[in-house]
Amino acid sequence: MSKKAKNNAMSENKESQKLFALTGLFDTPDEIMHAASAASKKYRKYDVHTPYPVHGMDDAMGLGESPIGWCTLLIGTSCMLMMLGFIAWVSLVDYPLVWAGKPYFSLPGYIPILFEVTVLTGAVSTVLILFFIVSGFPNNNHPLHDTPYMQRTSDDKFGLCLEAADPNFNEADAKGLLEKMGAKNIQPVYYEKAEADAGLSLTHPAFVSFLAFVIVGVSGAAYFGLNRMVFMVPFNYMSVQGRAVAQEKNNIFKDGRSMQKPVAGTVARGLLPYPFKLDDQIKAQAEAGKYLSNPLPRTEAVFELGKTQFDSKCSACHGYYGEGDSRLNGKFPAPPTLHSKKVSEWTDANIYHVITEGQNVMPSYAKQLTRDERWAVVHYIRALQRSLKPKETDLQ
Amino acid sequence: MQVANRPSSDALNSDGTIKDFAVEPSVVLKSPSLHDLTEVISRPIEAKATLKWYIALAVSASLLMLEMVCWGISFYYGSGMWGNNIPVAWAFPIVNFVFWIGIGHAGTLISAILFLFRQKWRNGIARFAEGMTIFAVMCAGLFPLFHTGRPWLPLYLMPYPNKHAVWVNFLSPLVWDVFAVSTYFTVSLFFWYTGLIPDFATLRDRTLGKDLISKIKKSVYSVLSLGWRFSNRHWRHYERVYLILAGLSTPLVLSVHTIVSFDFAVSGLPGWHTTIFPPYFVAGAIFSGFAMVVTVLVFIRYIFDMQHLITVETLEKMNKIILLTGTIVGYAYGMEFFIAWYSGNLIEQFTFINRAFGPYAWAYWIMISCNVISPQMFWFRKLRRSVPIMFVISIFVNIGMWFERYVITVTSLARDFLPSSWGWYNPTLVDFGLLLGSFGMFFTLTLLFVKFMPVVSIAEIKSVMDEAKPSHHGGDH
Amino acid sequence: MSSTTHAIHYEKKHLPASAGTLGWGVLIAGLAVAGASFAMDPMRAKYSSIMLFMFLAGVGICSLFMVSIEYLAGAVWSTPLRRVFEILASSLLFLPLFALPILPFMQELYLWTHKTDDILARKAAYLNQPFFLIRLALILGIWILFYKLFTGRSYKQDETRDQDLTRKNVKLSAVFIPVFGISITALSIDFLMSLEPHWFSTMFGVNFFAGSLVAALGVITITVILLNENGYLVKGIIGDHYYSLGFGMFAGCVFWTYTAFSQGMLIWYANLPEETPWFLNRWEGSWKVITIALLLVHFIGPLFGLIQRKNKRNPSRMIFMAAWVIFAHVLDLYWIVVPVFQPEGPSLRLTEFGFIAIAIGFLIVLVTQQAKKKNLVAVGDPKLQRGLAFRL
Repeated sequence: MSKKAKNNAMSENKESQKLFALTGLFDTPDEIMHAASAASKKYRKYDVHTPYPVHGMDDAMGLGESPIGWCTLLIGTSCMLMMLGFIAWVSLVDYPLVWAGKPYFSLPGYIPILFEVTVLTGAVSTVLILFFIVSGFPNNNHPLHDTPYMQRTSDDKFGLCLEAADPNFNEADAKGLLEKMGAKNIQPVYYEKAEADAGLSLTHPAFVSFLAFVIVGVSGAAYFGLNRMVFMVPFNYMSVQGRAVAQEKNNIFKDGRSMQKPVAGTVARGLLPYPFKLDDQIKAQAEAGKYLSNPLPRTEAVFELGKTQFDSKCSACHGYYGEGDSRLNGKFPAPPTLHSKKVSEWTDANIYHVITEGQNVMPSYAKQLTRDERWAVVHYIRALQRSLKPKETDLQ
Repeated sequence: MQVANRPSSDALNSDGTIKDFAVEPSVVLKSPSLHDLTEVISRPIEAKATLKWYIALAVSASLLMLEMVCWGISFYYGSGMWGNNIPVAWAFPIVNFVFWIGIGHAGTLISAILFLFRQKWRNGIARFAEGMTIFAVMCAGLFPLFHTGRPWLPLYLMPYPNKHAVWVNFLSPLVWDVFAVSTYFTVSLFFWYTGLIPDFATLRDRTLGKDLISKIKKSVYSVLSLGWRFSNRHWRHYERVYLILAGLSTPLVLSVHTIVSFDFAVSGLPGWHTTIFPPYFVAGAIFSGFAMVVTVLVFIRYIFDMQHLITVETLEKMNKIILLTGTIVGYAYGMEFFIAWYSGNLIEQFTFINRAFGPYAWAYWIMISCNVISPQMFWFRKLRRSVPIMFVISIFVNIGMWFERYVITVTSLARDFLPSSWGWYNPTLVDFGLLLGSFGMFFTLTLLFVKFMPVVSIAEIKSVMDEAKPSHHGGDH
Repeated sequence: MSSTTHAIHYEKKHLPASAGTLGWGVLIAGLAVAGASFAMDPMRAKYSSIMLFMFLAGVGICSLFMVSIEYLAGAVWSTPLRRVFEILASSLLFLPLFALPILPFMQELYLWTHKTDDILARKAAYLNQPFFLIRLALILGIWILFYKLFTGRSYKQDETRDQDLTRKNVKLSAVFIPVFGISITALSIDFLMSLEPHWFSTMFGVNFFAGSLVAALGVITITVILLNENGYLVKGIIGDHYYSLGFGMFAGCVFWTYTAFSQGMLIWYANLPEETPWFLNRWEGSWKVITIALLLVHFIGPLFGLIQRKNKRNPSRMIFMAAWVIFAHVLDLYWIVVPVFQPEGPSLRLTEFGFIAIAIGFLIVLVTQQAKKKNLVAVGDPKLQRGLAFRL
């Protein structure tokens, strides 16, 4: 950016400088309009500089309508369609979510977002097109900058600038035109030859490599910044959240335990209290036999359940067939057979009572087996008994 | 320099009545020359700041400090420091959010909609109003950000491929809000900046000093003006871009407050679910925004001595729009009440009776008297043109519009369907600090803006001067 | 103080007699078809009368609204066209005639006149026949009064060129706007929303206003362009004036879509049982086609047809688009009214065309008759010169 020397009309060093244009200033919009239409008849490379957009100047200069509107429309609508496709993909394929009873793809609810995306992309791209393409950004380096001509046209004068690059340009003719139209302060503007030869533009290798450097640098910094330095776990997973471990000391509670006892009188969900709990086990068993009966039907599923539970919980001591053939090799006293007359004559409820409350050395299995499982086991025991002492009819 | 051939005194009497309908009234008084305009607008930027400005900045910056402290508290301890609680889970933050977004709307309305309607009087105030939009949206955006509970993770609001393998819910009005407000902010910023480019170029060409400060200033202006040269080949595209931006901003500004109103109206809550909410919110936003513009402009034109650029006629037109939008808001209040009765829905009816006569009746009647009754003074020309009176009324309107959002949010939530879940809302000191502090942020930014950037668009105001129009174009005299 | 005395060259030319004949012909043909329908297909004729009345009411009052907006905003582009607005607003004078065929059949058309339930009982204070008639008389009376005041001064100004008349009309229009807002809402609630008396929407009046404004601008555009292109108006009305009318139609269509979308989307989203049936009726069976067509005709068509500046300045394209938006408004009215009576699906008979012919014939006759007596340009208006000099 060498602004110092380029535009000084009084400069001595003519070799290093090249004529850019001949400029003239006008006082009123009317004058500049006439001058512009006169210039447009003779030149292609000329420009009008006005402190504000003068109405009708486009016609005077013979310029057509700006085509930027079509770019806005094209970019806005295509981005809207892309967004629509993205939303459709998210809501139909990648993350379908039934929400408020609406269909997966609910167009009315997407209209606000689609509209905003259209406006955002349309507006931003329009302005960027203006900045980068139309105004030739980054273009802070133009021969007209910092000339007295520019300083006046940015304030209150209207300038006509006839460029030397025009094939019809001839300094004397141009001066004549300007004088004829009544221009004041007619002055030539020069620029550095070296600079002109360098041909600074958007495709200049230096600029392209600068851009590449910026892109690589910014994306690299973003990658390391976001993924290495300030990366945060998206959620606090439950495994790392603060919690009370069951056996740990806990200062919140008076008794210092983490695991608190339920309030007195609490009844567990689904629990039916077992009423036949007497000191006299025989009497209790008889009572149970009097009032309870097996609620489960004799279906295949029930027998299946009974067999699974018997095999896993009872067979270790009672044996797979209930014959008292314990697999514990005398480590624990083996129970008598379940095929004895006594057990055969017990009601279902008597057996159920023994499973629930235990008998002699056998502990209660109420914790290990649910109510239904116990009754299913009773059914299974009956089936075992009958399999060893079948009736005549069973064998046919 | 050509003498202005139609001084505004031909069109208007001194009391603002129209003397001759056949003469077009001028936008600015005294018909300054183009050079005078450049001078008047650039001088405050180039000169040293005045004592008045420093005093105003000191006051608003201290309020800003208050806001920063309150945001700090909210950040460190969380949103539990606010009064929000079930059933009133949406309270001050959303009220402030809607209030500030609404303030912003006037800016886009003035710069875009009035531009499309070719209302030339807008040119004196458009730049300032656009700036106001941006600052108001900045004030507004902080509230929902902190209300998310984890303000350090705003990226969660965006639909981006993430580790949690989820996407945002595109059907949620809160997600629409994210899109709407961010689009609004971005487009407003671009619109504002596009308008500023020629003015930065003018400032660049005016900075001729050889000292270091001037050189720094000049290079800053050079970069900001993007090498603008006032070339008509650029103006051609520039004007078209400005028109497109105005055309896009107009539906955008309507959509933003519409979507804000959807936050409420898509629910089934009585008092929130009303189909007129979208235009009603938009009218209310314009109403409050214009009031805020009047409040601030009255100050600005005194501080910077711009009475002839921002004329009483301009302010009077603003007051007329305040009156009009105030009437539309009144119409919406009436419709809501009437349809609540007409619907035959008992809960709907209860909600509205509860608003007017329930425990929050005081808020309701503040809203009615500030929003519907106080602007009626503008029916009288004398009051409409009196600067002190419009200042007071504009403040009333802002109070009323804040209370409107308060009434909608709090009364509906505090008493919904089940009496067993009714409750009461108590704002905390932090809530009040944030409300007050957000004004500090707004005014601080505004004061910095009016000091360091051209508060009136230099190029635009020139284009509406009488001498700026080429005479052979237009009417065949 | 110059341009008030500036000579504007306006020479009053009479419209060709053939125009009047055409208007009368179409009107009488339409009346004949409508009359026959009252005998042969009475229900269709009756609900078509509602559509006809609401169409003309909307066009008339929104034309008057355009007049008042011009005064209020101090707009100049519409001044050379204002007399056309005023002439079309004179259809307000004939509205009572168009309301007459509806009133005897209210029992058949409006459910609330003869049935009641819990909800309707709560609305009875508003929805009852005496109050309905009082409201109707009041609304039409007020509209005619405002019409007389506005246009009386405007016609007088043709002779006197007195600026005080403009000043008075500016004040009057400030009073008119709130009255207009309330009355058009009440009329739309009475005649259209109460067809399904259980349903309610606060947006309804705004939506009807938007649709009517578009239709009124369409009628105005066609009239202005036909008159101006054939040289009956003053020299100097050019594409830029058409552009402003086109801009109004475009903005009106977008505004209509905005209100319709807000109303529909909010009800769809909240899914409340008392609100959704209205839309469900219009989303089931072949009505779905009309609903989608309405969206395309009322929004997409004008959006692309009117967005280009070129189209808005071109007279023939503007006439096409104006006819298009009028059709859109008629379709909108059809979509609001007919599903109540034909839930099974839309159907067209000669009756509908008869009523359309009445509307067209009536408007032509109205313009030709008014044009006999009055200037077609407000020659006395002080803003006329500025209006003719209007450029974008």
